[in-house]
Amino acid sequence: MRRCSAILAAIAIATVVSSGVGSPVCAGNIIEEWGNVKGPTAPALKPVTVDPKTTALLLLDFVPHDPYCGPRKARCGATLPAMKQLLANARANGATVIYSVAGKYEAADIVKDVAPAANDPTVKSKADKFLNTDLEKILKEKGIQTVIVTGNSANGVVLYTATGAALRGLKVIVPVDGLSANELYEEQLTVWQLAHGPGFGALVTVTKSDMIKF
Amino acid sequence: MKRKLIAVVAAAFVTALALPTHAANIIDEWANVKVPAAPALKPMTVDSKTDALLVIDMVAETCNAQARPRCVETIPAIQKLLNDARAKGMTVIYALGISGKEILPILAPKDGEPIVKSGADKFVHTEFEKILKDKGITGIIMVGTLAYGGVLHTASQAAFRGFKVVVPVDGMSSPNMDTLYTEQYTAWHLANAPVFGGRVTLTKVDMIKF
Repeated sequence: MRRCSAILAAIAIATVVSSGVGSPVCAGNIIEEWGNVKGPTAPALKPVTVDPKTTALLLLDFVPHDPYCGPRKARCGATLPAMKQLLANARANGATVIYSVAGKYEAADIVKDVAPAANDPTVKSKADKFLNTDLEKILKEKGIQTVIVTGNSANGVVLYTATGAALRGLKVIVPVDGLSANELYEEQLTVWQLAHGPGFGALVTVTKSDMIKF
Repeated sequence: MKRKLIAVVAAAFVTALALPTHAANIIDEWANVKVPAAPALKPMTVDSKTDALLVIDMVAETCNAQARPRCVETIPAIQKLLNDARAKGMTVIYALGISGKEILPILAPKDGEPIVKSGADKFVHTEFEKILKDKGITGIIMVGTLAYGGVLHTASQAAFRGFKVVVPVDGMSSPNMDTLYTEQYTAWHLANAPVFGGRVTLTKVDMIKF
């Protein structure tokens, strides 16, 4: 603590930023402070209305095999009824629907509840579905401005594809009943990060599937 | 008979409590989230030819005692890394936000050290990947702020591209003690998330050997 204060004072003098008042209390690194972390506040879910002409529903890695949406991913299985309904609403309103798979799986392997139609594009990549795929090109060609991002795992495909979309200037809608992970902590950090991420959180709406109107 | 019926009803009631009919979403479960154990920090040894040091968004405008006191606390550790890296002739790269404000003078780049400018993910619309490849870099030590912005996203994207990533916890920061949660989940996620395939190492500056 004393060492830290001295360092801070030296830096303050060196960079001439010290106001001399309210100097910060120096703390440990995050591992040392682990037990002192205040839990986050849940973001408020917001109703949202989308234009189906410029909106794409992204259903990511809904493959009924582990480590995707298989028997060991019970929370992913639990998202399927809501995703089936969301998919039906998207199709009924003519929104674009895009799928992803990973590893050895193909579009034909996607779980029947949310299976692709003949003309729905499917991209194949790891966590960030923009990386090494045509996703950005597909979205541009279809004039998509908003993506609804769903899938497993939350802190894999959902976090990185949603962030990738926001960093490319797209509006992102994340229904909390469409994401899942093994640990609640992972879902929580995903939702919090997407709602508050520096520079892109403003483009993200955290909601629930039945609060999305087409 | 009556007692038997009560027993059956009681058993059904207990079963109903034990087996929820459907899993609730994370907002409903928010209060039930358990914080996992802190990840273990691991020592690492630098290969000065193939490892680079990346210093992210350490700018005077935000890294000051008023705006982000925890960022100021990381300056000595980052300064030490810069000194050690330069002494070994390592590649040093800087990253800034798109509007690119002034790097803290105490951590200023030397002649020829490249600066890339982007949002949270420093690979987006920059020469960063090309610079790394041209120099034969396969591993990146990343420090800077914000932990859950430039550090998290650039570390993630580097790992997705096959780079080995090293993040010292005393070189990354959230703004202040009220936002420690963002540092916590960044550290946990970088150390544990399966998406990285073991390519990310969480460490501390004095556990990095040059």
